[in-house]
Amino acid sequence: MTDVPPDSGPAPRTRVAKRVIPCLDVKAGRVVKGVRFAGLRDVGDPAELAARYEAEGADEVVFLDVTATLESRPILSDAVRRTAERLFIPLTVGGGMRTFADIKEILRAGADKVSLNSAAVETPELITRGAEAFGRQCMVVAIDARRAGERWEVYTRAGTRPTGLDAVDWARRAEELGAGELLLTSVDADGTAAGYNLGLTRAVVEAVHCPVIASGGCGSLAHVVEVLRDTGADAALAASIFHYGLHRVSEAKAALAAAGIPVRP
Amino acid sequence: MEPLLTVVDYGVGNLHSLCKALDRVGARTEVVADPARLLAARALVFPGVGAFGKVMEVFAPVAAELAARLRGGTPLLAVCIGMQILFEYGVEGECAGLGVFPGRVERLSHPKLPHMGWSPVDHDGTGCFRGFAPSPYFYFVHSFAPVEPPGAGAAVARSEHGGPFLAAVQTETILATQFHPEKSSGQGLALLRNFVEHVRRF
Repeated sequence: MTDVPPDSGPAPRTRVAKRVIPCLDVKAGRVVKGVRFAGLRDVGDPAELAARYEAEGADEVVFLDVTATLESRPILSDAVRRTAERLFIPLTVGGGMRTFADIKEILRAGADKVSLNSAAVETPELITRGAEAFGRQCMVVAIDARRAGERWEVYTRAGTRPTGLDAVDWARRAEELGAGELLLTSVDADGTAAGYNLGLTRAVVEAVHCPVIASGGCGSLAHVVEVLRDTGADAALAASIFHYGLHRVSEAKAALAAAGIPVRP
Repeated sequence: MEPLLTVVDYGVGNLHSLCKALDRVGARTEVVADPARLLAARALVFPGVGAFGKVMEVFAPVAAELAARLRGGTPLLAVCIGMQILFEYGVEGECAGLGVFPGRVERLSHPKLPHMGWSPVDHDGTGCFRGFAPSPYFYFVHSFAPVEPPGAGAAVARSEHGGPFLAAVQTETILATQFHPEKSSGQGLALLRNFVEHVRRF
């Protein structure tokens, strides 16, 4: 069973480009790689990398604080501040924000949007409060989902804790609560480099009105093309293909353009 | 040195991005929250954070005088919500704007809202758009937009999300953009640079 899209009839016209979003995993103020594997390695300064991605044509940048502890917060704020200082494209920051004060602090440091994951599930009114105070365009809800039979279940705490929530239902609810965008990660696909989860992405896109960023599983430019061509997702997030030096953001844009997908050159 | 641009603080959001971008293109800015102080400014900036009704509440004590100054030639850069409140009426908040331009600000008709991301802007190559390639991409985040043409003498640029909407309006002294030049990378900075150079010559 697929979900019925909220609007039938021909797709309304828009000229909005599909977005390519590099994601930086940040630990103690540095970009790291190999997060989900042993042997975390320092790959550089977030401000430097973010500026390089902007120069390569990134449409936005996402920071994910993988330490996400109370002690790491001032270090994160400082990294956000230094990055925002140099960046002239939108910056989204996620990881470990629990309270309204956390959201405010990260936005004040220069983030354009905050991404809430566990906190959104555990304290849904935080989404509403943030949207009322800062506008829903500031509030991204990150959904980590794992296949459970014919459906997908929401997980929190870095994909370790099952919540019993259906991912498609939660996506709808998050939008109702005030999310302006969803960052949808397939926990099954994440780290496999075998491609995005197209079924999950399609199901969520069809259930909501707000933009959806697909994440998890990107291992090649063909995967970026596939998810943006076949699912209705508005943006593709990728980490490893960009910072392992496999590809430049500009190459992803060129591959998308060659496939007839509208992108900002 | 006197600041070139006076940026209005509506008290709701982060003005830093826009100030930083203006600083990058060489304009000194000051941030002012007291609306009475806006009337004496050399040139104004209405930033792009906030909601229609809330922003008009801030302007309420000086709305008529401010509109008169803007019609009379005080230079203005207005971004997103800052652009919207220049029109006569906004359906968001259901209240009157400054009425510098005729027309209403309506909800976009596309089911996917907000319109978030980069869209091409069709401009006529005049004013601050001089030197731009046709249809450059700028970054948008909005659910409402002015949909009716402004008065004679104002040049417009258009984009589309559901239906066509005004992506920018400019007169001899006003540059108003529905998109965020401060988030639009090199194209946005180039546009801001053109505005700042224009204000300096004024």
